[in-house]
Amino acid sequence: MLNSGAQIDCPQSPVKGRLFTAYITGSAWLSAGFAAIIFATLAVQSAPGIISAGGTFMSTSWLPSQGQYGMLPMIFGSVIVMMIAMVVALPVGVLAAIAISQIRSPKLRRAVKALLEALAGIPSIVYGLIGVSFLSVFVADIFDLQTGRVILTAGLLLSVMILPTILTLTEDAISDVPKAITQNAAALGLYRYEVFKDAVLPVAGPHIAGAALLALGRALGETMAVMLVIGSLDRLPDPIYNVLSSGQTITSKLGREVGESAFGSVHFSALIFASLILVTITLSLTIASQIIFSRRAKSSVGMRHV
Amino acid sequence: MFSRTMKDKLFTAALRAALGLCLAVLAVLILAIIVAGAKAISFEFLFSPARDFGASGGIIYQITGTVLIGITASLLVLPFATSLAIYRADFVKSDRVKRMIDTSIYSLNGIPSIAYGLFGLIFFVNILGTGLSWFVGAIILALMMLPTVTLCAVAAMKSLPRGYRENGYALGLSRKDVVIRITLPQSLHGIVTGLMLGLARAVGETAPIMFIATAFSGVTLPGSFREPVSTLPTHILALAQQATNPDALANAWGASLTLVFLVFVLSALAFIARIRLSPLSERHT
Repeated sequence: MLNSGAQIDCPQSPVKGRLFTAYITGSAWLSAGFAAIIFATLAVQSAPGIISAGGTFMSTSWLPSQGQYGMLPMIFGSVIVMMIAMVVALPVGVLAAIAISQIRSPKLRRAVKALLEALAGIPSIVYGLIGVSFLSVFVADIFDLQTGRVILTAGLLLSVMILPTILTLTEDAISDVPKAITQNAAALGLYRYEVFKDAVLPVAGPHIAGAALLALGRALGETMAVMLVIGSLDRLPDPIYNVLSSGQTITSKLGREVGESAFGSVHFSALIFASLILVTITLSLTIASQIIFSRRAKSSVGMRHV
Repeated sequence: MFSRTMKDKLFTAALRAALGLCLAVLAVLILAIIVAGAKAISFEFLFSPARDFGASGGIIYQITGTVLIGITASLLVLPFATSLAIYRADFVKSDRVKRMIDTSIYSLNGIPSIAYGLFGLIFFVNILGTGLSWFVGAIILALMMLPTVTLCAVAAMKSLPRGYRENGYALGLSRKDVVIRITLPQSLHGIVTGLMLGLARAVGETAPIMFIATAFSGVTLPGSFREPVSTLPTHILALAQQATNPDALANAWGASLTLVFLVFVLSALAFIARIRLSPLSERHT
C-alpha cells in the first residue's frame, strides 16, 4: 500500500505542533475505538438478562410477563428472510453486473451503474412504505392470503435493498480482472459464457464472495422495511418452511419492543442480548469480507509482475 | 447436454433479463414514489405544521428537524473523520496499526443502524440521563457517518502524489504545516464528497434515532439541546403504521418524495464536489 509520509522523519515540533499531534492522535484513537465502545456497551447491558433469564433464550416462547424470552423464532426469522433475499438478489445482481461490464461504451456503462446505485439511495423507511402499500398487497393477492405481511414479502423487499451492494461490488470485481486474461480467453475462441466461467470467475470469484458477505450483513441488520412488512409474530412458521406466514426478525423485534421495555429491566436486557447476537454476526461478516478483499488486492498486485 | 452455442445464447439471454429486471424495478420504484408523492405535495404541505396526527396539514417541522439533525451531525463528524484520516495518512508508520484502524472503520460501517440506536438509548439517554434529545440523535448519526467520511478522506489522501508531502518536508515544514497546507487542502474533495454521501445516508435513517431523538406529535422547533424533534423518516414511520387511513398514507408518500428528493440532492452535491474540488494533481492544465 502506498503511503507517503510513512518513511519521512519530520522535524521536532514546537509546543503548537505537539498540541496538534495530541489533538489528532486523541481524536483518531477515540474514533477508531467507537466500534469497540458500542460493542462493549451492548455486552454489559445484556449481562443482567443472561444471568436472570439466560436459560429461556433457546426456547420458542417470548412472554416477558412470565419471564420467558425465547429467541428462536426471531433468530429463525432473521435467517430465513436473509436467505430469501440472497437467493433472489445474488443471481440477479451478479448477472446484471456481468451485463453492465459487457457494455462497450465506458460512458454508458458508468451511467447505467450510477443509475442502479440510486436503488441504494432510497431510504429504508421508504422501502418499508412501498412494502406496506404495494408489495404486501400483491403478495396477499397472488397467494390469496388474509394479510400480505409475511416472511416472503420481507425477503423480497430486502432482496431489492441489497441488490445495489451486490451489483456495484461485483461489477468492480469483474472490471478489476486484467484485460489480458479476458482477451486471451476470447482470442482462444471461448464463448462469452466460457470466458466468464473459466477466465473471469476464478479471478473475481473471491471478491464476489466478499460482496455477498457484505450484502448478508446488510440484510441481517435492516430494520425499518422489514419491521413494517413482516407481521411481527413471535412464532416459528408452521410448517417450518412456510414463508407465507407472519414472522419476526431480531431487528423487527427490537424496533417494535425496545420502546415498550423499561431501561434496566430483564425484558430490556434480553432485547439488548438479541441485538448483541445481531451485531456479533454482522461484525464477523464485515471482517470476513474485509479479509477477502485485502487478500485479493495483494494477489492482483502480484499478478502484474507475472 | 447443451451445445456450446446454446449455453452461450442462454447465458446472454440471462444477462439481458437480469439487467432489464433491475432497471424495471428501479423505474417502478421511482415512478411509484413520484406519482404517489406528487399528489400530496403542495406549497401548503411543505410549509405548514402537521395536524390530526399527521393525517392532515404539512411537514414543515419534520423538514426543519431533519435539516437540524443533519447539519449538526455533519459538524460533529467533521473533526473526528478528518483527524482519523490524517492520523492514518501522515502519522502512522506501521502497517499493522493501519490495518487495525481500517478494521475498526469497516466494523463501524458493519454495525446495523438499530444497534446504534440502542447504544444511544443506553449510553446517552439513560446512563448520562439526557432524555429524548435531538442533539443525542445528531451525535449518533455523526457516528454512523464517520466511516463513510473517513474512508473517502483516506482514499483522497492516499491518491496524493508522494512528492507533494516530500517537497513540504524538504522545505522545512513541520508535520503540522504539511497537514494543514498540503494534505488537507489537496484532499478536500474527498472530505466533502464523503460528508455529502454520509449525510445522504444519515438523513434517511430512522432506526438509530427513533428511540432517542424523535417524538411524533406536537413537535415544533426545539428550544434547547434536550428536546426531541420530528424528522421526515420518523414521520413516515408513524404514518405508515396507520396504513388503514388513506389521508395519513397520502401524507406519508408526500413526506417520502420530499425525503428522496433531499437524498438525491445531497448525492448530486457529492458528485459535484468530487469534480469541482479536484486536487492540483488531477487538474488538467
